Amino acid sequence: MYIISIIVTACTNIISVIGLALLTGYTGMFSLGHAGFMCIGAYTAVLLNKYLMVPYVLALILGGCGATLVSLIIGYPTLRNKLRGDYFAICMLGFGTIVRLILNNMNNPVTNGALGLTNIPKLTTLWSTLLFTAALVFFMWNFVHSQYGKNCVAIQQQEVAAEMMGVRIVRTKLLSFAISAFYCGVAGGQLAFWLQYISPATFSDTRSNDFLATLVTGGTNSITGPFLAAAILTSMLEYLRSLVNWRLVVYGLLYILIMRFRPEGIMGYKEFSLKKTIKFFKELPQNWPGYMEKFKEKLTGRRKRS
Amino acid sequence: MSNSKEALNVSNLTIRFGGLCAVDNVSVHIDEGEFVGLIGPNGAGKTTFFNSITGNLVPTEGTITYKGKSLVKKGPDQISHMGISRTFQNIRIFPKMTVLENVCLPLHSQPTYNIFAAFLGLPSTKREDKRIKEEATSFLERLGIAEYQEYQAGTLAYGLQRRLEIARALAAHPTLLLLDEPAAGMNNDECNELVELLRSIHRDYHLTVMLIEHHIDVVLNLCDRIYVLNLGKLLTEGTPSEIQSNPEVIRAYLGERRKKA
Repeated sequence: MYIISIIVTACTNIISVIGLALLTGYTGMFSLGHAGFMCIGAYTAVLLNKYLMVPYVLALILGGCGATLVSLIIGYPTLRNKLRGDYFAICMLGFGTIVRLILNNMNNPVTNGALGLTNIPKLTTLWSTLLFTAALVFFMWNFVHSQYGKNCVAIQQQEVAAEMMGVRIVRTKLLSFAISAFYCGVAGGQLAFWLQYISPATFSDTRSNDFLATLVTGGTNSITGPFLAAAILTSMLEYLRSLVNWRLVVYGLLYILIMRFRPEGIMGYKEFSLKKTIKFFKELPQNWPGYMEKFKEKLTGRRKRS
Repeated sequence: MSNSKEALNVSNLTIRFGGLCAVDNVSVHIDEGEFVGLIGPNGAGKTTFFNSITGNLVPTEGTITYKGKSLVKKGPDQISHMGISRTFQNIRIFPKMTVLENVCLPLHSQPTYNIFAAFLGLPSTKREDKRIKEEATSFLERLGIAEYQEYQAGTLAYGLQRRLEIARALAAHPTLLLLDEPAAGMNNDECNELVELLRSIHRDYHLTVMLIEHHIDVVLNLCDRIYVLNLGKLLTEGTPSEIQSNPEVIRAYLGERRKKA
């Protein structure tokens, strides 16, 4: 049961982080408020299930659609006015907080204010989670390798040239934003039906920051990178539970190490491939001195003059 | 020349940045198939002029029409789809994408399949991607950089990046190509090579070309007509030989001869 719980949590994080990867990694827009979309997805799915008897799968999808709708409402004015970079990130930070505060202060029997929703049926199972995760990762993989995905990357790399080559900037950004919101909405619903209890505090800013940190750890222009990072970091959080509060220190240390030694993330701009990994380990003995050399260079910040 | 069809018509274009008048009441007209040069000292407003044609800047006053349609207040993406393509003075390729992906981009800037097909990765999307790659390869071959197609664009040598930019601009299927200093930083041999290349491209793709360039040999070699800008104002316009002998142009470029006391 414990292991299953870890797997479900990890899968939820994988879905959200991969959604965020499209927006932040591929399209180049940082968001600090994607927990807000998770929150909307979770509340929508649970309330639909509770009051309208919408079946589980449909509730999750509709939760995702709810998040998408909200993303379009907030995305259209911000993106059309060319809000980018830090400004967009701060706008999203505000959005995440607003969603949480509104739900906190809505004291009605339906959303139940700060107390949150209780007695949610446990509809999320291990298999449904795995299936959803696999499907969503598969869809995202196809999307980022399609023409749409390439247009997103072009915007991230060189917006002026992309626009001059005919890419519709606002539309493409909005699309990527909406899709990432959908992914987070579905993840939120999944989490809600697993935890059986949600409150606005479940979707705090810390969660948004965690997504971003996981994404950067995994490598921004990659699907397998964030996938691995989300899986590893979530499960590590559980293994380190014995350290109590110190585990967050371990986290911070890990992020610092990654920023220092591998700023492009675990996978960077590449995708994970089994063949290359096997090759890497086979050639490790003869390449080892070279890696140590590079490591020393990074450690001292000096390059040997040859 | 007067009986051929007019392509670009810019009349009384003025662009002000606050108090600075970057382009002042400039009128330019280009006929279809012409190769026109735009020269002038640094800061004359040449690139600003290009930016207003491609929609990156909104003109303060004046009109710009291409084949009879106004370009003012249209977005760069719309203008690109009207058949105007450009290269940039400071290279603006997509550095982390491969050379091939760079050239593919204008071919699918408006995706050729719908979004659900993209999510499902249907075989039709794979076919479409393959077709676009083949088409892009033909442009790379034309520019002589097909062997680098799997390289990351940012790692290419400077001259090759310039070529890549031209390939990418051509892939947008333009009828009017705006070249912003394609020969910047090139030596004489490379310039001559570029002249031949541009001449053949102009001929083979039936393009109308407008060229900004500081290498005066390149401009004189290639252009049918030349416009000269100085401090935002149109100084003069004429054939290469007229421009070469125009005293005002010489004054703008070299300064006035000091009068003997």
